[in-house]
Amino acid sequence: MALANETLAAIRYGYGLTPGGTMPGTAEGLLAQVDEGRTKKPRFPREGIAGRRETATRIISLRTAEAKAAKEGKPNEEIRKQTQREAQRIYRQDAMARLAQAVHSPLGFYERLATFWTDHFSTSALKSLPMRMVVPLYEAEAIRPNLGGSFSQLLTASILHPAMLIYLDQDQSVGPDSAAAQKTGRGLNENLGRELLELHTLGAGSGYTQADVRSAALILTGLSVDNRALQVVYRPRFAEGGSIALLGRDYDGDEGEGQDHVLMLEDLAANPKTAEHICRKLVTHFIADQPPEQVVAAMVSAWAASDGNLKDVYRAMLEHPRAWEEPGQKIKQPFDFVASGLRALGLPESNFATLLRDLDNRDDDDGPVDKAMKMASDMAGQVTGQGGADLPNAAAADDAKRRAGRANALTLGALQRMGQPIWQPPSPAGFADQASVWLSPSQLTERITWSRTVAKTFGQKMEPSPFLEAALADAASPETRQIIAQAPNKIHGITMVLASPEFNRR
Amino acid sequence: MTASERILLSRRGFLAGACCAAAAPVMTPISFAAMPGDNRFVTIILRGAMDGMDLVQPYGDPAFAALRPKLGLTPDAGLLDLDGFFGLNPAAAPLMPLWQARELSFVHAVSTPYRNQRSHFDGQDILETGGSDKSQKTGWLNRTLAAIPQSGARMAIDINTSMDLILTGPNKVASWSSQSNFALAEDEIAFLERLYAHDPAFAQALDEARSTDSSAESLYSDGKRGGGIADIARLAGGMLGKDYRIASFSINGWDTHVGQQAQFRKAAGDLTTAIVTLKETLGADAWSKTVVLAMTEFGRTARENGTNGTDHGTGGLALLAGGAVDGGKVLGQWPGLGADKLLDERDLMPTGDVREVAAAMLYRQFGISPEGLTTKVFPGLSFDKNSVYLRA
Repeated sequence: MALANETLAAIRYGYGLTPGGTMPGTAEGLLAQVDEGRTKKPRFPREGIAGRRETATRIISLRTAEAKAAKEGKPNEEIRKQTQREAQRIYRQDAMARLAQAVHSPLGFYERLATFWTDHFSTSALKSLPMRMVVPLYEAEAIRPNLGGSFSQLLTASILHPAMLIYLDQDQSVGPDSAAAQKTGRGLNENLGRELLELHTLGAGSGYTQADVRSAALILTGLSVDNRALQVVYRPRFAEGGSIALLGRDYDGDEGEGQDHVLMLEDLAANPKTAEHICRKLVTHFIADQPPEQVVAAMVSAWAASDGNLKDVYRAMLEHPRAWEEPGQKIKQPFDFVASGLRALGLPESNFATLLRDLDNRDDDDGPVDKAMKMASDMAGQVTGQGGADLPNAAAADDAKRRAGRANALTLGALQRMGQPIWQPPSPAGFADQASVWLSPSQLTERITWSRTVAKTFGQKMEPSPFLEAALADAASPETRQIIAQAPNKIHGITMVLASPEFNRR
Repeated sequence: MTASERILLSRRGFLAGACCAAAAPVMTPISFAAMPGDNRFVTIILRGAMDGMDLVQPYGDPAFAALRPKLGLTPDAGLLDLDGFFGLNPAAAPLMPLWQARELSFVHAVSTPYRNQRSHFDGQDILETGGSDKSQKTGWLNRTLAAIPQSGARMAIDINTSMDLILTGPNKVASWSSQSNFALAEDEIAFLERLYAHDPAFAQALDEARSTDSSAESLYSDGKRGGGIADIARLAGGMLGKDYRIASFSINGWDTHVGQQAQFRKAAGDLTTAIVTLKETLGADAWSKTVVLAMTEFGRTARENGTNGTDHGTGGLALLAGGAVDGGKVLGQWPGLGADKLLDERDLMPTGDVREVAAAMLYRQFGISPEGLTTKVFPGLSFDKNSVYLRA
């Protein structure tokens, strides 16, 4: 079945259809979203980029001071707990903002690319407490502004960010013959060097050797993170001296001290194997698990002709006829599924504020609702004395708990259960992208459960058939249309729209 | 009343912001003040169109056995005789003690004014708004609150994850849900199977999920479902035992197009569990002042279909339970099942308006005047103090 280009674009290249929204059904229209998206500030970090650096460095220095005091036998449990809670809250706010960004942004293709590249250059908020605050910053300042320029620029911005250096232990790595190694006994950590070749550029099985991994790691030495400013720094004392050979080139500091890693990143970005690897991955992500070779080839040519200009590469994909054919080969990843489900409902953005407030009220600390509840129960005590006071108090606390549970089940908790928690990939390789992973019995059960929760929460005033139109337009099969129209109740009708094969495929 | 005597708590902000902004302010204040008036009223909406002729079978009608060769029972085959003409489906056997104690009645061949289209969605909307077409936008149970004399303090509660249409409107209503996320009803699973029938990968995943995946238990297992219904009824009973006087919740699972026997047994089991649990939770005194009205959007075809089920029909059945019911009766004017008696030669002919049953109960429980009932709660309904349902 041939879909309208606008429908296919919304589902394959965006976060799905939304009432009143439009998605361009042309390559040029989608590419314009890339240009526009790069200039827009995302909804996270909540305090903005400079603000986040301030917040994060403040919390990091508090914890550093506490750790030092604890070593001297004067631990401050309160500071430890408070900073932990604050970082957790910041992460939760940003994660909700990321979901809101996908749901509400009109620039679907740009948003999907941001997700693709954040996953390609994976970092994890689970790595450490500071990373809860740094990973959102990383996506906002390293990935998003650079995903429509040259690959080289995107690679450099991603690798040379504190989030990446912390995640892949580069801040722990020192050259075996460096001054720091002599003094501290520390040594080389190959983690970033390996993933740089295997995941970020050339690709696994592309012919590089263990010696190349070591060379890349040696060239990266000297790179570290200044935790007080949350900036990448070059520390000559960490750097391995001398000439290091990698893939036919000697990196020997002839462009100035501390420039070798920059040269290496440029060389890796220009390597034809990188173009092949990245183009294939893009097609696999957007079009089909078995990527059509002719689309990959067209993109690789565009890459070569433009020195890796990503917009030209996207254009080569989108201008290929196959980019607009054979829909439904991919299974949406959980984030895509949840975002597109919420998007199809056409909820006002204020819902996210309410959901977030419900989530925050779960905490045992004194949120506004907790205070109100305490006050209410005190007042009840005055009026009715014993007995009667229990109902409102326990009931209100119960209610807040329930609402927090539901808000979580609709958003972050659902993504956790479906296996794609925001900014927490299982490994540096990111999340799986194959249909077989995302269409399993337990996955389907989670998706039906989520659909039902959504339907019960938001679907009371909705009609299943119009909702099907809003969510899938001409992508809904006649069979699905008929079944939805006959559903035994509205809730189940809306549940089935979201749980339908058409809505879970793209 | 001073400010300190009313404890205001904000709730439903989430729901209001999410879906019902027009119907309810963002923060609905809920009052926990004590109130006069002891009578209670519970509605249970049976979604999916309950087959009334399966729950209360007219085995005494000469045409019945031929219309229902597989589904029809007789007292010799396990049907629980009620009055020599009607018998109760054995799946609802735990209700027999209530029948014997005259705390249970049925009203046969009733319907809303909805005709001919047989759509679940429209049928349920009309059942809940209490109008004669889709023009009513608020729920009749919500409008009831304003019509109750000195109703300032009477409280209503919706025991669902969010508000059902029947309680939606300008008057204050609390919405609570039991914590159990109860499982899919049998008819809902059957619909999912149909939904996935044209996508083998999904069909297989659902099939495996139902048979092997242990994490799927909460969604597909019957045990959880029964527990879920009991939780809901317990919560409703608990709230009615305190300050609330009106409650509403829904039971799904009645859309029995295929393999009705097993599906109906489960749904009827849920309904039975709900009523028995309400009685237990309320205790003797509160139960004696309670009326439970269970109703559905329409009935099902008089004749079985070709897949051991029944299709969407018209005339249906309402159930009344509670200590405040003068029970032990099957009310309603039985139209008969002869070929010339059926509506469109297929459905049980409706001979009564289910809204009149509800009006009679509201009149008796809360003293709402017939004028209020026929203008505010059910505009256009004819109801007066001679209504036959006041004998229920």
